[in-house]
Amino acid sequence: MSSQGAANSTQADAAARMTSAGAASTGGKIVVRGLNFYYGEALALKAIDLKLQVNKVTALIGPSGCGKSTLLRVFNRMYDLYPNQRAEGEVLLDGENILDPALDLNLLRSRVGMVFQKPTPFPMSIYDNIAFGIKLYEKLSKSELDSRVESALRRSALWDEVKDKLNASGLSLSGGQQQRLCIARTVAIKPEVILFDEPCSALDPISTSRIEELIDELTDDYTIVIVTHSMQQAARVSEYTAFMYLGELIEFGDTSEIFTKPREKRTQDYITGRFG
Amino acid sequence: MSEHIVRAYDKELETLGRRIGEMGGIAEKMVVDAMDALSSVNNELAQQVIACDPRLDALQREIEEHAILTIARRQPMAIDLREIIGAIRIAGDLERIGDLAKNVAKRAVKIGPESRAPRASVGLKHMNDVATEQLKDVLDAYAMRDAERAQAVWTHDAELDALEDSVFRDLLTHMMEDPRNISFCAHLLFCSKSIERIGDHATNIAETVYYLVTGGTLPAERPKGRPDAAAPQLGTVEP
Amino acid sequence: MSRYDARRRTDALARALCVAAAIFGLGWLALILIAVLLGGFGGLSLSIFTKMTSPPGANGGLLNAIVGSLIMTTLGVAIGAPIGMLAGTYMAEYGRYSKLTFFVRFINDILLSAPSIVVGLFVYQIMVARMGHFSALAGGVALAIIVIPVVVRTTEDMLLLVPGSLREAAAALGMPRASIIGQVAYRSARAGLVTGVLLAVARISGETAPLLFTALNNQFFTANVNAPMSSLPAVIFQFAQSPYREWHRLAWAGALLITVAVLTMSVAARVLSARAANK
Repeated sequence: MSSQGAANSTQADAAARMTSAGAASTGGKIVVRGLNFYYGEALALKAIDLKLQVNKVTALIGPSGCGKSTLLRVFNRMYDLYPNQRAEGEVLLDGENILDPALDLNLLRSRVGMVFQKPTPFPMSIYDNIAFGIKLYEKLSKSELDSRVESALRRSALWDEVKDKLNASGLSLSGGQQQRLCIARTVAIKPEVILFDEPCSALDPISTSRIEELIDELTDDYTIVIVTHSMQQAARVSEYTAFMYLGELIEFGDTSEIFTKPREKRTQDYITGRFG
Repeated sequence: MSEHIVRAYDKELETLGRRIGEMGGIAEKMVVDAMDALSSVNNELAQQVIACDPRLDALQREIEEHAILTIARRQPMAIDLREIIGAIRIAGDLERIGDLAKNVAKRAVKIGPESRAPRASVGLKHMNDVATEQLKDVLDAYAMRDAERAQAVWTHDAELDALEDSVFRDLLTHMMEDPRNISFCAHLLFCSKSIERIGDHATNIAETVYYLVTGGTLPAERPKGRPDAAAPQLGTVEP
Repeated sequence: MSRYDARRRTDALARALCVAAAIFGLGWLALILIAVLLGGFGGLSLSIFTKMTSPPGANGGLLNAIVGSLIMTTLGVAIGAPIGMLAGTYMAEYGRYSKLTFFVRFINDILLSAPSIVVGLFVYQIMVARMGHFSALAGGVALAIIVIPVVVRTTEDMLLLVPGSLREAAAALGMPRASIIGQVAYRSARAGLVTGVLLAVARISGETAPLLFTALNNQFFTANVNAPMSSLPAVIFQFAQSPYREWHRLAWAGALLITVAVLTMSVAARVLSARAANK
């Protein structure tokens, strides 16, 4: 794969170039300005302005169809996989606009990782699931690779459960373990931002708690954005919350403020269960 | 306020509000009757007041239990959360008010036979009227969810403080005039303290109502002794 | 409750009809298998695999036909499967939403049921007539043309079955397109893709018409792809039409061989896809 060799240290270079300059000057790790998003002709996100702070957890909440997942998928240009979807406006990651068509998408996605709603381990062994991503960007000796895989699994609180069966298929794990495997896989390539798209909605309460604990620990080193339809989870996990409705950003603020005294009536109606 | 999607939630909040209203009514009556029993030396009335207190205690426990269950069930947010916390706090304050009224009634029983210098209790009656007025106003503010009214009650507490000072001086004078008054006036001193604290609790309720409606808090320092001191302007928030 | 009884009666009737139809269909299959077994078993012997076809009277075998079939089937798959897979990959991955895919799919479905004799005539025109002689190569090409639509169809279907979320997860790691296809999609659909190829092989194992116009037949053993080559179906055709009993026996044996081969491959395909489904 040609990109492997080329991107050997490019990821580190790009990150170093960008981080210090951009984050401070624009007021946030990710700054969204006037973002409009279209599915074909339909406008799904309307003039979104948002600032996500570095190493903090921001939650996106809102009723179904409000655009929170759409917004999340802009941050790693995931919509680029599909022909009829496009975004206009500016989304600055450390000051650099990621909506620029000339941007190297694979490099972007190495800096902005994503964990999906349904756990999706690759059809390979647990070890390979994690080594796979690492091998895309770095050339490591076997022992270095081993230790990276181990630290990624430790980071996502999965090591103790799988250390004796690293060669078993990733699909042989339980749902909660699979999701933690996906998180380990994402963390292994050392991104700067991690996007979570309703990561716990397919899991039981205990797995959910484990993952919330994980997010708590990860926030020391990563900027995290989480889409969730559980308000209690948003309240538990995040420092900032954005409430969206019908494609617009209705209110954004400290989580403690939003959930005890929100400014907008629509926000209050949603979080108290009066609609939505 | 529009209704919750789950109607049982609305009913639970409604029940809390009603019970507080019930407690408020009983507490109000106790305060008025205790003073009446004191000034008209009515032993029977005093005993009635004392008998009311257990009902108030029971109501407070009921309200707390109900609130705790609602929290467990509904995981309330924002205004609902403030409502429930507010109900717990107000129930506590009302229960204390009931206890204080009961104390006044008990003293009325003790004083009964040796009542003298009825002049002395005039000032006290006036204090009680003010306190009763405060209580009534704050309970109305709660029922109407009216933050401004609550704030007014909060500022007026200064008046009660001033009254207490003057009653204190008055009673001291009485005691110095005639040593036989000392025992009687000493009881009245304790009553004035109780009434002043009834006023304080009414002020607490006012703070809670303000928090419930706006989510903000009134400043820690209440302007003391100057009833017309303006309260600092705080941002108003739409519920 | 009469409505209920009427429904029960209808249910019983429908069920009976279905069972009857199944027995009818399966019955014929069973009869064919038995006929082939009975007819061919007597002709089976080691000499079939060691001796060439020979004139009636001399004790011959089917060696050249078996080898010829193997060679041309391999040729057909070697040419057709890669083309089919790559085309199917384009349709499912790169060009999933493009107009070209729509047209290719349309034409592919037509080709799937194209009469194989037409394919044979076509290859005759472009290869045999041009080259001036029959050849196993032409036979292989004709078989490849039959393999391609089958493999295209199954490859596209199997790749489409790979959940989009898996692709998105790979893309989210920054994996380039080719990697996603090669390392994730192919791996995930592996069993299905192999099944598709097996089914194609089973299909061409018994094709006769195209071979008659391209590879013709050859009495003698040859491994030269540039020369006419015999194949089991062609030999069966030739021997069955003849009046010689010995040749009839050999033809039945050949039919049995083909049937067993196709059966084995179909069963293998089923087992593979069942195992993949259970994972």
